[in-house]
Amino acid sequence: MTWSALRLSALVVTVATGLVAVIGTGFGYLLARRQFPGKELCDAFLTLPMVLPPTVTGYYLIVLLGKRGLIGRYLYELTGWTPAFRWQGAVIAAGVMALPIMVKSARAALESVDARYEMVSFSLGKGMLETFLRVTLPLASRGLLAGAVLSFARALGEFGATLMLAGNIPGRTQTMPLAIFEAFISGEDREAQMMALVLTATSIVTIYLTNVLTRSAKSGA
Amino acid sequence: MLTVRLEKKFKTNGRTSFSVDVSFSLERGIAVLFGPSGSGKTTILRLIAGVLSPDSGKVELGSRVYFDSAAGIDLPIQERRIGFVFQDYLLFPHLTAYENVGFGIREARAKARRERVAELLDLCGIGAAAERYPRQLSGGEQQRVALARALGSEPAVLLLDEPFAALDAPTRLRLLEEIVNVQRQSKVPFVYVTHSAVDAVRAGDCVLILDGGRIIQQGVPAEVFNAPRDLAVSRAVGSENILPGRVAGHEPEAGITWVDLQGCRLAIPLHELAEGTRVMVGIRAEDIIVARERIGQISARNLLEGIVGQVVRGGAEVDLRVHCGVSVKVRVTAQAADALGLQPEVKVYLVIKASSCHVLA
Repeated sequence: MTWSALRLSALVVTVATGLVAVIGTGFGYLLARRQFPGKELCDAFLTLPMVLPPTVTGYYLIVLLGKRGLIGRYLYELTGWTPAFRWQGAVIAAGVMALPIMVKSARAALESVDARYEMVSFSLGKGMLETFLRVTLPLASRGLLAGAVLSFARALGEFGATLMLAGNIPGRTQTMPLAIFEAFISGEDREAQMMALVLTATSIVTIYLTNVLTRSAKSGA
Repeated sequence: MLTVRLEKKFKTNGRTSFSVDVSFSLERGIAVLFGPSGSGKTTILRLIAGVLSPDSGKVELGSRVYFDSAAGIDLPIQERRIGFVFQDYLLFPHLTAYENVGFGIREARAKARRERVAELLDLCGIGAAAERYPRQLSGGEQQRVALARALGSEPAVLLLDEPFAALDAPTRLRLLEEIVNVQRQSKVPFVYVTHSAVDAVRAGDCVLILDGGRIIQQGVPAEVFNAPRDLAVSRAVGSENILPGRVAGHEPEAGITWVDLQGCRLAIPLHELAEGTRVMVGIRAEDIIVARERIGQISARNLLEGIVGQVVRGGAEVDLRVHCGVSVKVRVTAQAADALGLQPEVKVYLVIKASSCHVLA
């Protein structure tokens, strides 16, 4: 149980963090640099999973994406595939829960980049994409990386929404937090302890990394 | 040739709080936009560059139309070939001086790129610092890199927004001379924003005096600054004469240095400057005494003969433009002007103490 949960968590968290880093940076860029109607509403909506109880977020996810869900129904009809009760479901749940942190971090990191650097790049004949990749992204990289590390931690600890959308199927959707819970209630104290220690160690490394990253981001290095 | 005609209104709470309405053209050389803070200098640069869109007008560079409200043309910044140099340099902090300069170079082949970067670094006198990051460079060095970077994208015009405001006087002086040099060599027309009258006279081939978003006078800097057309211009440029000249010689025992202005010679306090050095001499318009007759015995070292040109009355004071080889502005009280009958075409003598003349940094 321990090893399969560890492997599954590693897979789910890696994929979720990767997706969240890209999508969150995109939303962060829109919020930091663009003016559009309903911008703050959009920010509020993206932040919602941070304040909603995870099970409520999970409930909405299953209502949306489940086999008979509002979107999931068509997805299933068209492709015969559903994220519910699969590892991809765990990725979606972890991703949605981690997205607010990434969006917040990315928005702050990108807002801290003086927009005139982008103007200089435009004036040197560079387009939007090249400017973003060669100027904005490197200048915001530490803040973005810190956001990604925090998102990783949030995704790793995801429990409630994952349970709702992906269930708790050992070897298929049972990630570490779920496995700890199951090990504990079925009296397998040693396994629960082992996995708790692994997650604790990961968390300590995460905090350390975030501190290092945010500190050097502030000193402008 | 850069041709600009633009108009823009800025609104706060629905009311027009500031508006810009200018039209000018620049063939070559350095055009200086001069004016007090809030006169619209930087706004005009931003409108030319395409950072802001004018309400109406037309901006053309040669045969290329950058903006034309009538035709609905408004090219984005990256398609206008306009270089920008800022007061605070804005070098990319994550790139070395070399990489900063290379950033905008359009040449694709690696070897040609390297040569071009080296050439630009040399032109701007910063070759030795190529591998350093902006935070390892002094203000003056950063400014040179910023200039080289802007030239790297082969702009058709270069806009400089108070590029020396943050530098100390000696560095500023040296850089200004270099900028003029770079402009002559690169042949790119420069539009240079400053609120320093001395810099304007030193660097400008022509100057546009701005006030409240309008051009109130334009022409050759030394003339515009020393012979403002009306009170508004006079207020904008200040009361100081700024006279370009060359050191002609020294009289250490008399404590005097002679400066050749165009057409006349001026005694100023002794300065340790080599003969032939170009200097700017400042004389406040209020510090000049006007006489109708040549005075024989007098302690003041300078007695210049001239003809009154324009007379501008402003309440209790009168500004005279006196031609004595160079144009000099003189401020006297209205009472004195009337008593002496100071009218255009009248011959006068200007009495200037050497100690009223100072060398401008």
